[in-house]
Amino acid sequence: MWDKESAERIYHRIGILGWVSFVLLMVLFVRLWYLSVLQGDWYRERSERNWIRVIPLQALRGNVYDCNGKILAEDLPRFRLVLLEGSMQIDEARNKVEKVLQRKLASEFREIAPGEIILLENLSLEEVIKIEEAQEELPGVMVESYPHRFYPVSQVFSHVVGYVGKITSEEFKSLGPLGYEVWDRVGKGGIELFYEDLLRGRKGYRRVEVDALGQVRKVLANHPARFENSIVLTLDRDFQEYCYKLLGNHRGAIIVGKPLTGEILVLVSKPGFNPNDLVEGLSTEKWTELAQDEARPFTNRAIQATYAPGSIFKLLVAIAGLEEGVISAQTTFFCPGFLEYSGKHYYCWNRAGHGTVNVEKAIAHSCNVFFYNLALKLGPEKIVSYAQKFGLGVKTDFDLPGIKEGFLPTPNWKRQTKREIWYPGDTLNLSIGQGYLLVTPFEIYRLLCGIATRGKIYKPHLLKGILDGKGKLIREQKAVLEREIKIKESTWNLLVNGMKRVVTQGTGYACRDIPVKLAAKTGTAQNPHGKDHSWFGGFFPAEDPEVVFLVFVENGGDGSGEAARMARDLIHWFLEKRGVERGRR
Amino acid sequence: MGEDRILVVVVVALCLLGILAVYSVDPVRTEGWGTRSFFGRQIIWNIVGWSIFLFFAFLDYRLLARGGWLFYLLMCLSLVGVLLFGTGDETGARRWLFSQSVQPAEFAKLFLILFLGFYMSESKEDFDSYPLLLKSGVLSIVPVALVFVEPDLGTSMVLLVTWLGALFVCGFGGKKMGIVLGGLAALGSSGWLFLKEYQKRRVMAFLNPWKDPLGSGYNVLQSQIAIGAGGLTGQGWLSGKQSQLRFLPARHTDFIFASFCEQTGFLGGALILLLMGVLVWLSMRIARNALDLEGKVFAALTGLVFGFQFFVNAGMNMGVMPVTGIPLPFVSYGGSALLVNLIMVGLLYNIANSKRREVEKRKFGHSDQ
Repeated sequence: MWDKESAERIYHRIGILGWVSFVLLMVLFVRLWYLSVLQGDWYRERSERNWIRVIPLQALRGNVYDCNGKILAEDLPRFRLVLLEGSMQIDEARNKVEKVLQRKLASEFREIAPGEIILLENLSLEEVIKIEEAQEELPGVMVESYPHRFYPVSQVFSHVVGYVGKITSEEFKSLGPLGYEVWDRVGKGGIELFYEDLLRGRKGYRRVEVDALGQVRKVLANHPARFENSIVLTLDRDFQEYCYKLLGNHRGAIIVGKPLTGEILVLVSKPGFNPNDLVEGLSTEKWTELAQDEARPFTNRAIQATYAPGSIFKLLVAIAGLEEGVISAQTTFFCPGFLEYSGKHYYCWNRAGHGTVNVEKAIAHSCNVFFYNLALKLGPEKIVSYAQKFGLGVKTDFDLPGIKEGFLPTPNWKRQTKREIWYPGDTLNLSIGQGYLLVTPFEIYRLLCGIATRGKIYKPHLLKGILDGKGKLIREQKAVLEREIKIKESTWNLLVNGMKRVVTQGTGYACRDIPVKLAAKTGTAQNPHGKDHSWFGGFFPAEDPEVVFLVFVENGGDGSGEAARMARDLIHWFLEKRGVERGRR
Repeated sequence: MGEDRILVVVVVALCLLGILAVYSVDPVRTEGWGTRSFFGRQIIWNIVGWSIFLFFAFLDYRLLARGGWLFYLLMCLSLVGVLLFGTGDETGARRWLFSQSVQPAEFAKLFLILFLGFYMSESKEDFDSYPLLLKSGVLSIVPVALVFVEPDLGTSMVLLVTWLGALFVCGFGGKKMGIVLGGLAALGSSGWLFLKEYQKRRVMAFLNPWKDPLGSGYNVLQSQIAIGAGGLTGQGWLSGKQSQLRFLPARHTDFIFASFCEQTGFLGGALILLLMGVLVWLSMRIARNALDLEGKVFAALTGLVFGFQFFVNAGMNMGVMPVTGIPLPFVSYGGSALLVNLIMVGLLYNIANSKRREVEKRKFGHSDQ
């Protein structure tokens, strides 16, 4: 029942309830103070981590241009589909995207950046539109553009320009400290590899605001990726394309350049490969097929393959003979079509014989017997030492990776490695550029440059200039004199006269109709495995050389054939084009 | 200013803050003021609620007290009705009658307060007696159990606390309170076995939210992040990232306190806490000064229910209480709760007023004036 005592008790109890409420309220106050004031900064950062996403943007690579500003390599935009982590399960996203695009997606996905997964690359514009239309059902799925490397002249420049590809785990180990990321691409060959530092470009990033579903609501900051430098090469895209075509179905190499600056206009190796395929990433089968192709499409024949130089080497033997005083301009040997030496016959290519031959005529007609005789008097060491002076068997570095050098045999070498003595026959072989002797086509090109400039060898280069991000020329490659070979003027004169006669009277008759004075030399490298390799190289105008060229055709028969005909065509092309350009001026 | 007027000012302030808070997180607010928007409906519920408030404020509460058993019957019938005919939400709970317009569990709070006030004061038994303890207990457990199986753990706890509060206010001794609390604790720990999986996860998440920050701990963490990110003065009106970008779940109902704090900071949150505190304090004062036992119990239990809900809701927003779906009175979006809360305020107002009106009819009571 309700009495005085209980009434006081109730009054008291309500008081207690009031106090308890007060204490609990204080707890809430303190907690609120702790969260928002004391720990506010920490929670604010957590909140930002919730809704701010940093999306890295792949660096743009610089373009590669030819000397006329034509594109050899560039980045083109492509679209890919990415899923922001935390917005949807991958499987769910895959199913939905497959339904929208009506096509299957790969079962494995690549993470490009923390929190971003690539669902599909290289979307068509049609597919981009489909995705945009279905955006409501695809929270966290977005279309993103990314740069894709494109090589417009594919095969023709594959060896020189090279290609880029996804960074491998080994490359990443060494490049990681330089700021590369696992999803980056990196130069894998040629200019792309050699000038990786210049071409690489700078990464960008985009800060976006996303909601709890991972939908991008707002772009907060946009730091676009850009490229820092483009590269202009000394190569001429049209000329190179023409030369590549000239080689037809042959394997081989063509090099054309300017001896007085070291600029290289054409550096062709055939067959090439399509670098665009490699950018995409080849299947393992396709890769092995290419790697095991006996045509060796990945070998740059101009700088990485070695062959016997054949008769072109005779130029060096002549220089050595004249310089060492073993012969003079007047010295003659009689060529009956062969040389008999210790009971053996060493034949001239012309079994009928060249008769009495001096050094000029010997060069013009490429008479073996003359050089046999000369070499026997000279000895192999002297020949080799002159070859070295002109850069044969010596690695010549210029701006390409993977350059190889040829091989100059000596009696010493033969004794040590083969445990055999050097026979006079070896000397005879050497004198006509056969036997153990090996050179790369580029070394022969260098030899011709040396003769054209009369001993002044300029460092060869492919880089003409560097452009900054806005296309302004910031560096120009100057001609660098690499070395000078001291040789008597009369020797040069004899040599050039001989080479002129090659065209007018001798083995280079295929080039007789060329309207400038041409100095050239043919070469036929005997090939025990098949048809001979064919060499033809020279320069023009003979007295004031502007251009040096070298054509090498694997299994092209003798040098007066395929190689000389190709040389004729490329010289015509060059002169015609220059004529057009002059006419325009 | 009298208690009655302060009461109205405080509750009006809370309701206005509520409308602002609902507006700030309304997903369809940009589409206009219509009834499709949450804040539009909240305004309508306020208008309806305050009309009903006026009715209860001037209807003598002793008339209500006489309807005691009727309320009890109404409460139980509606709760059974929910279980039989109710419609549910995405968690599988059945809570609504008349296609999601009436939530009987909310009304059960009011009915139980009215019933207990009536029952305690009309009781033939002595206060502080085992029979009264037992009878009131059995009668209270029925709605608690009915709400619990909906399931609505939060509201069933409110009802349980209402009964405990009634015992406490009516002066039950320490020993008896001890027995009841001990029994409930034992029941509670064995009741763990009957909890739904998601309810268990919520409790675990309360104990360690970082264990599963993207799963069961998500709500608790996002809410604390929202409050913390508000700092002292908040991120500004309509610009809290947690709530605007929907990291915060149940932004307009259970976690409205957090989204409000994110925008207005410690100062805004403290204002709500202060208003809550004043309301509870006023309730207790009105209870003390009430002329009769019904009035005392009504007012004290009303204050207790408000205080308990405030504490649990704000506490779960701040991570000091487990997540148990109790809305923040007057502020959270929701029609039934707002109506019931405003009726309860009407009752308080009535009790505060009636002392002045009928001071000469005082039969019994204790006054501190």
